[in-house]
Amino acid sequence: MELQMEPTAPAAKQKRLRWGTGGKHLLLILLCLFAIFPIYWMVISSFKGAGEIFNNSLLPSSWSLENYTYAMEAIDIVGMTANTLVMALSQTILQLCTAVMAAYALTRWDFAGSKLIYALFSLTWLVPFQAIMIPNYTTIVGMGFRDSLMGVIVPNMASAFAILSLYPSFKSFPKALIEAGVMDKMSACGVLFKLILPNIKSSIVSLGILLFINSWNDYFWPALIISQGQTTLQLGLRSFMSAELTSWGPLMAASVLASLPILILYLIIQKQVIQSFVKWGIK
Amino acid sequence: MKKLLTLLLAAAMTASFAGCTTTNANDQASSKGETASGEKKEITFLTYNLSIASQKDAVQELIDTFNAQSDTVQVTGVQTDVASLQTKVQSDYVAGNTFDVVQVGLNSVDYYVENYALSAFEDIAGQEAYDQHMEGFAEKAQTLGTYTDGKTYVLPYTFSTPMLYYNKDLFEKAGLDPEQPPKTWEEVKTYGVALKDSGTEGIQITATGDGTDWLIQAMIYSNGGEVLSEDKKTILFGEQPAVDAISVWQDLVLSGAHSNYTDTEAMEAFMAGNQGMLVVSAAMESGLISSAEAGGWELGAAGLPSFGDKEAVPTNSGSGLCIMSQDEEKAKAAWEFIQFVTSEEGYTIITSKMGYLPLRPAIIDDEKYLKSWAEEHPFVRTNLEQLERLHKWVGFPGLNSGQIATALNQAVTECIFSDKDVEAVMKQAQSEAQDLLPN
Repeated sequence: MELQMEPTAPAAKQKRLRWGTGGKHLLLILLCLFAIFPIYWMVISSFKGAGEIFNNSLLPSSWSLENYTYAMEAIDIVGMTANTLVMALSQTILQLCTAVMAAYALTRWDFAGSKLIYALFSLTWLVPFQAIMIPNYTTIVGMGFRDSLMGVIVPNMASAFAILSLYPSFKSFPKALIEAGVMDKMSACGVLFKLILPNIKSSIVSLGILLFINSWNDYFWPALIISQGQTTLQLGLRSFMSAELTSWGPLMAASVLASLPILILYLIIQKQVIQSFVKWGIK
Repeated sequence: MKKLLTLLLAAAMTASFAGCTTTNANDQASSKGETASGEKKEITFLTYNLSIASQKDAVQELIDTFNAQSDTVQVTGVQTDVASLQTKVQSDYVAGNTFDVVQVGLNSVDYYVENYALSAFEDIAGQEAYDQHMEGFAEKAQTLGTYTDGKTYVLPYTFSTPMLYYNKDLFEKAGLDPEQPPKTWEEVKTYGVALKDSGTEGIQITATGDGTDWLIQAMIYSNGGEVLSEDKKTILFGEQPAVDAISVWQDLVLSGAHSNYTDTEAMEAFMAGNQGMLVVSAAMESGLISSAEAGGWELGAAGLPSFGDKEAVPTNSGSGLCIMSQDEEKAKAAWEFIQFVTSEEGYTIITSKMGYLPLRPAIIDDEKYLKSWAEEHPFVRTNLEQLERLHKWVGFPGLNSGQIATALNQAVTECIFSDKDVEAVMKQAQSEAQDLLPN
């Protein structure tokens, strides 16, 4: 009996393993389909004519480019993409710069009020945007930045979230290494750029990706500041929706075109994007 | 300590800088629009239609046509989406950059008069010139933008009333006469049940989401009720006529004649040809017509159904224009522009290209304006007939007006999609809303 069992035991285990792996794969495939379906629906809806935009067919009965033609004529998608890229890239770079400087200063030197400043940063993160919107607006209008990308970018040059996110990375950097650098007559900037930054590169890149996606999706502040001219993509997409009616076909076509740059970017750096979402625990 | 002092000093400087910027903003506002004599007066027009892809060309056409005609005024359109409108007006008002002409919801006349220094049209234009301009304007629409002092602060601009749209093909399939749409809510119930029995959906009154209280009000007025007393001090939507109207609506849902959809789902089902009837703003009409054409089915339209032999009383959704400019010359320039957009020529563009009602009804029989368009769009006549029985879309007073409208919306939704006691729910909502009214 035992002799009979021995050869079958690993086989049964292997079989169980196969089923276990198969089950996992099946679950993953289902989750993938679940995630991909909205994108698939956006793409096929963009090719559907007005008559079938509300039906449930998985493919258009006839492929039509009229939504794309309409969307391209109705809004300046290329110009808006360029504006959004400028806005998102500038905000990301500036927020990273200010966050690196602030986190470095707060962790490197013990100065009077450093804890207070850190607490203030934490507090500003908790203040809802709606509470500071109007004072921000009056200040930006006073600076003459109304209706310009500068007006969108300037109040977003520093981010409390970015500072607080980088602070632990700086804090946990070994003090002994910094002291060694100082003994080697490295300047404060030298320590930052030659010693610390190369070692926490991955944290900065992943934070940058998050900041970029946040800026890219920003709607409310640009909607307040920009009334004419340098409109961003998110405002452009909104123009297909009104209280009365949403033009789903053109909206989907514009969404496909608008998501292309970010999709391409995602395909290039998808590993880092996933890492950054896991690292900062944000969905 | 020294460093702390430096920080405090920096904070003080920032605060004073903020003060300076307000002054700068005011300077900027006052200098804007001032032009040398002989040049055109520049004014701004804040409008949400400019942010809607399907309407922006028509608004721009209105602005461009006016600019080409006027020797004295130059208008620049400024866009905002409808959800950000109030925030934008408020922010710019605080920043001292008030827009000269602003498109506002017709239910928010009191809010704008009470919170911004609006001037009445009668004062800006002079009573005689104002009266002269309003000749030929739909009579019932003339008072929609008046405040309690009897003066007009908001002039109706884009405007529509609720209509009953139906799918003639689905009517035939259900054995109903497509040329005899229901006229009363009792008939609506019979038709709705027949449609449901034929395997499709019956009716949907699209007033189950936020911001649809205008249509709920139409239901209540049609049954002889009111939502607010004339002195604006008592909420009345929990009183018997209102309760009875909502009970009829609840019965439509419980009997299966009314679909169990959200408004958006019902709109989409109707446009896909799967919903028999829809009570909705006539502003949707162009979208419904194109969906019917694309889907190969025939669209029918009728007026708002009535409760028995009481006459149906529609309300209006839509917007009006107000003048926010404090500068007398700019206010006059704004009036010149508003006269144009609410003229026969203005309404020809508004109706034919944006889909709103012509508030100068005579132009649909005038060859120079909309006669040929009206022949191709016969529903406009049904819609205009309703104007004669129009009741003002009442905005609730005070800073909690939005909350009161939401309370009404939620109470009605709670009633119609359940078998709860309508009187109890509406009375409770009435009492809560009463507490939100200003003392």
